[in-house]
Amino acid sequence: MLDAAAPPKKIVEVRDLKMHFPIHAGVFRRRVGEVKAVDGVSFDIHEGETLGLVGESGCGKSTCGRAILRLYDITEGSVVIDGREIGHIPQKELRPLRPRMQMVFQDPQASLDPRMTVAAIIGEPLVEHTGLSRDARLERIYELMDAVGLNRNFANRYPHEFSGGQRQRIGIARALALNPKFIVCDEPIAALDVSIQAQVVNLLEDLQKRLGLTYLFISHDLSMVRHIASRVAVMYLGKVVELAPRDDLYETPLHPYTQALLSAVPDPDPASAEKVKRIILQGDVPSPANPPKGCNFCTRCPRVMPVCHHEEPAFTEVAPGRFVACHLHDGTKIPEAPAAAAADQQGDAT
Amino acid sequence: MTDHSADPGFEEAARPPRSQWRDVWDQFKTHKGALLGAGFFLFVVVAVMIGPWLWPIPYDAIDIRARNQGPSLAHPFGTDQLGRDMLARMLKGGQTSVAVGIAAMALSLFFGTLVGVLAGYFKRLDGPLMRFTDLFLALPLLPLLLVIIMLFRDPLRAAFGPETGIFILIVFVIGITSWMQTARIVRGDVLALKEREFVLAARSIGTPDRRMITRHLLPNVLSPIMVSATLGIANAIITESALSFLGLGFPSDFPTWGRLLFDATDYLQQYPERVIWPGLAISLTVLAVNYIGDGLRDALDPRIRGR
Repeated sequence: MLDAAAPPKKIVEVRDLKMHFPIHAGVFRRRVGEVKAVDGVSFDIHEGETLGLVGESGCGKSTCGRAILRLYDITEGSVVIDGREIGHIPQKELRPLRPRMQMVFQDPQASLDPRMTVAAIIGEPLVEHTGLSRDARLERIYELMDAVGLNRNFANRYPHEFSGGQRQRIGIARALALNPKFIVCDEPIAALDVSIQAQVVNLLEDLQKRLGLTYLFISHDLSMVRHIASRVAVMYLGKVVELAPRDDLYETPLHPYTQALLSAVPDPDPASAEKVKRIILQGDVPSPANPPKGCNFCTRCPRVMPVCHHEEPAFTEVAPGRFVACHLHDGTKIPEAPAAAAADQQGDAT
Repeated sequence: MTDHSADPGFEEAARPPRSQWRDVWDQFKTHKGALLGAGFFLFVVVAVMIGPWLWPIPYDAIDIRARNQGPSLAHPFGTDQLGRDMLARMLKGGQTSVAVGIAAMALSLFFGTLVGVLAGYFKRLDGPLMRFTDLFLALPLLPLLLVIIMLFRDPLRAAFGPETGIFILIVFVIGITSWMQTARIVRGDVLALKEREFVLAARSIGTPDRRMITRHLLPNVLSPIMVSATLGIANAIITESALSFLGLGFPSDFPTWGRLLFDATDYLQQYPERVIWPGLAISLTVLAVNYIGDGLRDALDPRIRGR
């Protein structure tokens, strides 16, 4: 899908993004700590690609997606979208930039205002950002409804009259209304049943091809991410532990967490499923308010080393396009050969 | 399920979005109680507005020989202890009572909703505004009313004339002492709504706070506001009667429903019908308004509409 020969334009550059939520406690509601929901995340998204962002519940995926769109005021770091730094500019200046970046939400029921008609919901971005006349706006709304496969006659209906998949289509139409370049899909299929998931994912892919969209696809469904993403980032406890092109990541995962995560994906073929040895992680995810010292994963890592408990691994490029944050790969910087060897070794180990 | 192209029910050509108010009216019409309530309320309003012009006997005409009469053709509602016609007094009293009820309700609703929405939406205002609300809830009402009326009665009378002055004062007093419940309910609802994803979605579109409130929050807190409004009218009518009874409201010879009720309680044993008329008028008006509120609430909620 995406060849390395001609490096495409970076549309999103996230550098050391941190999103900490304060915890207030006690009689005087003093600040006693913070939840480090996203704690130093860096990645790029190239034009026209889909970056999958996976991880277990509560690891900061959704927060990361929302922070990139500045739905939160981020604690630290920089976000460059389409060549413009938006990390710390006030919301007022952000407003004219909103049309370039949109979001599809997880819960299609909750993300649509129950008191607005479909036409009003899809039309809201148009009202906010374009000076279209009533008729022109309606025309555009119909166009969008066609694009996402909704019957035009549904324009006067209310969200509660639709099925989950149709509601998600409304959400997608709203996100598309302003011709954005970049869309954050925050688990758009998590609330749908499997047959509808496929429809929605195919719709997203189809729209991407037609409109040249760039997605950040947040999901916990590894098989779906494998289907749609061109590169995949794995998050654990607020940090990206591994970022690699899709095929590399699924073939030879480098980080022990990625390995464990992938080993948990059910295999439809019973014969090969028997052969797969599952890596069962012990213990629970530590609290993001009080992450362990050193590597975040050191409390549960099956291959933990003494160094992991006091030194945080750097997020380094171990092979072209492959980033990992793990002490196991400390020595393996590019050039290519040792990295490949390490990958092989890794493959044997699992 | 999602394949709608083959559905024969949707053959009609795409029509432009209907006005929401048409839908609301269509739904309102299906609520019999609400229609009945609206009809009765309209009847009361029209009767008290034009009734005093049509009924030949003035409300303050004393006919001492015809005092304490029961209902008759000349005096359908009877007469009071001074021989004044009860029907004329009811009509005249209704003018004041209904006007006070609606105006005070509107004022308290406006103030309550404003405080509630601001406190719920802007975190910085939440503490101060809600403490302010608590302060009002904790105020001893009667001493406060006494002070307000003592301070402002004479200037207002001088500025607007005795009746209008008192009217403004009463509406204001009832309004500012009854907004707190609405404010609390609205704040609670706004706090919950604010965390819903559609508000986040609107923010991702870049909707500014002002329109976030008017487009997304207010329509969604309409139900509790509606309920507060209907209860508020009843409350205002009753509070006004209590104030009149205490001598803090309108002058004692100026009829309001509450005033008539309290005057009649002295003769409850001998002439019970004199209590019944104003009592019935207050209860039925309140009931009608409650039904209207009920119907409106249903009609304004698209999830209930069309069911």
